[in-house]
Formats: sequence, structure tokens, C-alpha cells
Amino acid sequence: MSNKDFFVDRYEKLGWTFRYVKPRQAIRINLTNADSKKIEDRLRTNGVFLQKIPFLENGFWVRRRKVSVGATAEYLLGFYSIQEAAAQIPATLFSDLRGNLVLDACAAPGGKTVQLADLMDNTGVVAALDVDNRRLTALANHLERCHVSNAVVYKHDARQASRLKLKFKRILLDVPCSGNFAADKDWFARRTMRDVERNAKVQKELLTGAVECLHEDGEIVYSTCSLEPEEDELNMDWAIRNLGLQIEEVNCYGQKGLTEVFGNKLDASVERCVRVWPGETQGFFVCKLKKRRN
Amino acid sequence: MVEREGRYFLLNAELKKTALKEFYYAGKYLGNAKKGKFFPSFNLLAMLAETKANKVVVDEKTSWLFICGRDIFHEGIKSVHGSRRKGDITLVLNNFGECLGFGRILQDLSSKGTYIAIKNVSDLGDFLRRER
Repeated sequence: MSNKDFFVDRYEKLGWTFRYVKPRQAIRINLTNADSKKIEDRLRTNGVFLQKIPFLENGFWVRRRKVSVGATAEYLLGFYSIQEAAAQIPATLFSDLRGNLVLDACAAPGGKTVQLADLMDNTGVVAALDVDNRRLTALANHLERCHVSNAVVYKHDARQASRLKLKFKRILLDVPCSGNFAADKDWFARRTMRDVERNAKVQKELLTGAVECLHEDGEIVYSTCSLEPEEDELNMDWAIRNLGLQIEEVNCYGQKGLTEVFGNKLDASVERCVRVWPGETQGFFVCKLKKRRN
Repeated sequence: MVEREGRYFLLNAELKKTALKEFYYAGKYLGNAKKGKFFPSFNLLAMLAETKANKVVVDEKTSWLFICGRDIFHEGIKSVHGSRRKGDITLVLNNFGECLGFGRILQDLSSKGTYIAIKNVSDLGDFLRRER
């Protein structure tokens, strides 16, 4: 059995029939810097035609373009960011962000950090962590381009986030993951179950680190762009059993989380997670967690 | 304002309370100093554009060429605010009044004719070039 057949077989067992997809390019308007309508008009003049993404407030599909959306003056001025549609979902799931102390635990290259700052209207503080120098440079460039003024970036491993000695009201845990074939054409050739298991282990450590610095009534939004249940539903099932967390109901694009994975029954509340199989968007998984009240 | 290894940042009151000493980046990045020379960030240039600093407003084609790293021909300048004097530094703004970067005036901007008027020192296209 080829590597591809192995994974495709797994997806079928999880209830999804494999097909090759090409996710649509998407952008997100930074409302702190620009007015949606004006940017739409300006881009149209430059030959970039947008279409509102129905399940996002500030997200647009790039319907047609004569120029690269990554090289317009409007992009360089920080009026919008290029951000995959499903990847725009996690930051929107927090109940409120303005004025809060927020942690973006695995922040680089910074698309979601900028989105958080935008949703916060540059109030409060976003602490953004990453460990890789090259990725930190990309993150800093992104913050500068988008005129973010409420972020502080540390070269720091999120697994030790508690060493910052801060308690965060909101934590975005967009963890490093195995990715998915829709976002990487060589995915099946490069990935093995060993990668998935290694990532799942790191993700558990990141979840543990996040809980240690979460405010008592704080919220964690956990997300991956992996389709593998070990990194998604199984990790959430583990988190509610081992970290005293509960899964919150969210209302967003996607399907209910799986509560049975390869014959194993998971906690019924895992259904509250959201799984996005690839299509117009890449594959994605997102979930909101809070500390359980005893 | 806080300095970290030659890089300058402007922190609001909330950040000042939260930011630990060893941050990598914080608040608004203002620019960096090397060998006694200060080089402004695009955040700082945008802030300066709101003041009475020297500015030229350029047409659409010139705006595009400028952010591609090109110098500015005199014909591309729609209006001049502040100094026209050779050697002075001026901000470069597009039709919408948005700052695209800055340059050095190469020849008095009152002179008539076709000539390179402003030498590009820094433009927004740098965001693309610096990550190559």
C-alpha cells in the first residue's frame, strides 16, 4: 500500500471520500487600517476582483486577478493580508478580545497575530511567541507592514509560556502540525504516521503549557491544518481527560468533530469541535476550550 | 521609546507594563541605528507623513515604479509640500496621501524639464525584497 493509499484509506474510514482540490486564494481586510469597500474598489481598479467569503466577516476570495495580490501597494500598505479562508476562522472564535491580554503561542509568520490585533483594534496586548529566527523575522515584517502597535514578540518556546509569568485571558494555539495535501502538493510523498505521532506529542505539550498560563475564566482556541485525528479530535479528547478542560460550543463554517475514530469512542463533547475537509478551503480543525468548573 | 540592539520601538502604556526586557519586537517599530546613522521604519515614515515634513505627491504610474525601487522623474510629481532644495530628504506620497517611502532631492524641484528629481532611498517594496 502506498503512503497516499494509506492516508486516503484513513480518510475514507473517517467518512470523507478523497478528491484532489485546489483551495481558493483568500485575503483578509485589516479593518484597523482600511475600509473594506474602498479596498475592494481600489483592487478592482488594479485588476483584482474579490468575492465576499460568506462565512467570514472580513474575508474575501480572490475571484480573478491580473496582478499578484502579494505585490500591490494596498498589500504593502498593510490594508489586507493574504490568509487562507479556513485559517481566518480561529481568531474569530474568541468571545471578546478588545483590551485583553492575549497569547498567540505559535505565532510566526504572523497572519493570525495581525488578525488578533485587528480584532482588538490595537487595544490590550498580544504576546506572540515563536522559536525560529527566520520565522520571527517574517513575523516582525508582518507586524510592521500592518502597523500593529499592541503586540510584543518573544523568542520563546510556547511549551514554557508560563515562564513569562503572565496569565492570559485568551490563548490562540495554532499549533505546528503535519499540514494537509490540499496545501502541499508533495504532502503524500513527504508525510508518514511517524510525523503525525511526533506532532501530536508536541501538541499535547503545547496544550499543557497553555493551560498553565491560562486565566481561570480564559479561553483557548486550538487549531491545526492537519486532517489526522491524532492531531485533532484525539488530542482534544486527551485534553479534556487530562488537563481539566472542556470543549465549548462554537458557531462557524465546517462539520462537527468526530466522536468515533477508527473504532474508538471519544468523549461526546468532542462533537463541538469543527473539522473542515478540503474543498474551497484547505483542510482544517478548530476547537474552543475553557477550564472546567468543578 | 525603547531601544533593543540598535532597533527602536514605541510602546504604549499597556505594553510598557507587560513587555519583558528580552522582547524581540514590541509596539511600533520606529527604525534602527547603525554606525551612528538612523534609518526610519515605514511605521515612522507614515507617522511623519501626518506632520509638516517635506513631501511630494506622485502620480499613479510613478507610485508603482517607486515601490518597485525606481527613482522619480520630475514629470511624475503632482505637488510638492515643503522643501524643493537639492540634497534635502522628502517623503513620497501616492494620490491617496499614503506614504510609500522617502528619497533625496537630486535637482531643485522648481527646475523645469525631464530629469530624475528624487533618488529612491527606501520604498515599501522593501517588504518583498527583504524576505527573498
